[in-house]
Amino acid sequence: MSQKIVDKVSEYLTSNIPIKLISQGAEAVVFTTNVHPYLPKDQIGDDSDVQYIIKYRPPKEYRHPDIDKSLTKHRTLSETRILAKLYQIKDIHVPKIIASDVFNGCIWLEFLGEELPNNAGFSNLKHFLWMYNKDGANAYDPIVLRTLYEVGRQVGLLHWNDYCHGDLTTSNIVLVRDIHNENSWQPHLIDFGLGSISSMVEDKGVDLYVLERAILSTHSAYAERYNKAIIEGFSSVYKNEGEAGLKKLNELLNRFEEVRLRGRKRSMIG
Amino acid sequence: MVSTILPQFPKFQVNVSLFHDVQNSEDIRLQVAELPFAFVDASVIVSQEQLFAAVYRVLTDLTYNKLRTKTIHSECLLALSPTSNIGEAFNRFGIQQGSTDLVVLQIVEVGQESTESANDIVKGTEVEFNNDNLLHTYNEQTLRKIYKLDNSFQPKTTEGFSQALVNAIQLRGL
Ligand SMILES: Nc1ncnc2c1ncn2[C@@H]1O[C@H](COP(=O)(O)O)[C@@H](O)[C@H]1O
Repeated sequence: MSQKIVDKVSEYLTSNIPIKLISQGAEAVVFTTNVHPYLPKDQIGDDSDVQYIIKYRPPKEYRHPDIDKSLTKHRTLSETRILAKLYQIKDIHVPKIIASDVFNGCIWLEFLGEELPNNAGFSNLKHFLWMYNKDGANAYDPIVLRTLYEVGRQVGLLHWNDYCHGDLTTSNIVLVRDIHNENSWQPHLIDFGLGSISSMVEDKGVDLYVLERAILSTHSAYAERYNKAIIEGFSSVYKNEGEAGLKKLNELLNRFEEVRLRGRKRSMIG
Repeated sequence: MVSTILPQFPKFQVNVSLFHDVQNSEDIRLQVAELPFAFVDASVIVSQEQLFAAVYRVLTDLTYNKLRTKTIHSECLLALSPTSNIGEAFNRFGIQQGSTDLVVLQIVEVGQESTESANDIVKGTEVEFNNDNLLHTYNEQTLRKIYKLDNSFQPKTTEGFSQALVNAIQLRGL
């Protein structure tokens, strides 16, 4: 990553906040730190393992500074707002917001997930499925299918409440191990940088399609069953809502099929 | 008293005291404009997290944006509020005539600490400013109304409740 960005964020955070880079996207860079932005140290307890996420949108040199500032503010605010709204919806799991400085494009979030055993990587859905796709593992382990069903439920809850994710890849689904049951994983949706409030079936259909493609491209041998489990979980949310839910579900799944067909056509031409 | 410096804002020291059984809230109220403190009614403070999130907001606004009120201490009351109406913020979060439990907050530049302490002003019992001591004084119903929390939002824990307030504090007026 460009030294400029590191210098910029280090200057902003000061030397009191040590940071470790964990991800660099087109839009934002993500760091972890063990320093809380405002809670006094002795109040957090001396759990030295505690980590926080800092998501920083660096200024873009190619944009006019005023436009850049307002875009950064707008996007940081939009992501914060969506996370705040989703936090209040029952059973939806997203990271908690610790702080948001929209003027500098910086959001602090609760750190979710853990390192998977045997160096299988960070516990997002992609690594989790890979772990179970390895030789000697059972790709259709009930734990896997249950987790995928829960992933579907999270997406279902999101859509039922008229929110769309906008970039629903298997890396943007982080699995958090249940403290009471190590074989149970609760999916959390992260990265609402492209999220929106939307009641449009098209947006929701596209969300489902993006997730389906993500599973297909990295776990192709098992994708059919995996995607089925996701759709079952997704549907269960709508089926819980009676007549109105069923109607919306049918509409949505029809659109999903349309989006899929369009995608297939495009790939045949392209 | 809890005395702390936020890592991103090393130029400022933040002092917070909590008092129970306050007897002179009426007197304090009359001179509140001249005193270099923010006097907050403890019934609207759930957690340290809520208060310090507001302090963080004050210091980011001060450093990168602008203050909406005349002093850093009135800004603290505004920062606690989910709306940008200053009068409303004072009425809801500031010391009231009959306030018996008070959170006294002070933000000072390092090196400019005043000699006056909250103890010289407040007649009451000082207890440590921590979550346990706030537990018995906050009023969930009032807070739900102030922060306009939906009835469907029923967090299982005080921390869960506190988080919704932190969210509102980050987003006020933006
Ligand atoms: N709350 C979080 N907890 C753990 N890891 C995260 C969190 N947010 C972001 N990340 C990591 O940072 C990467 C990029 O974040 P994002 O830009 O939000 O997609 C993600 O793919 C995760 O690996």
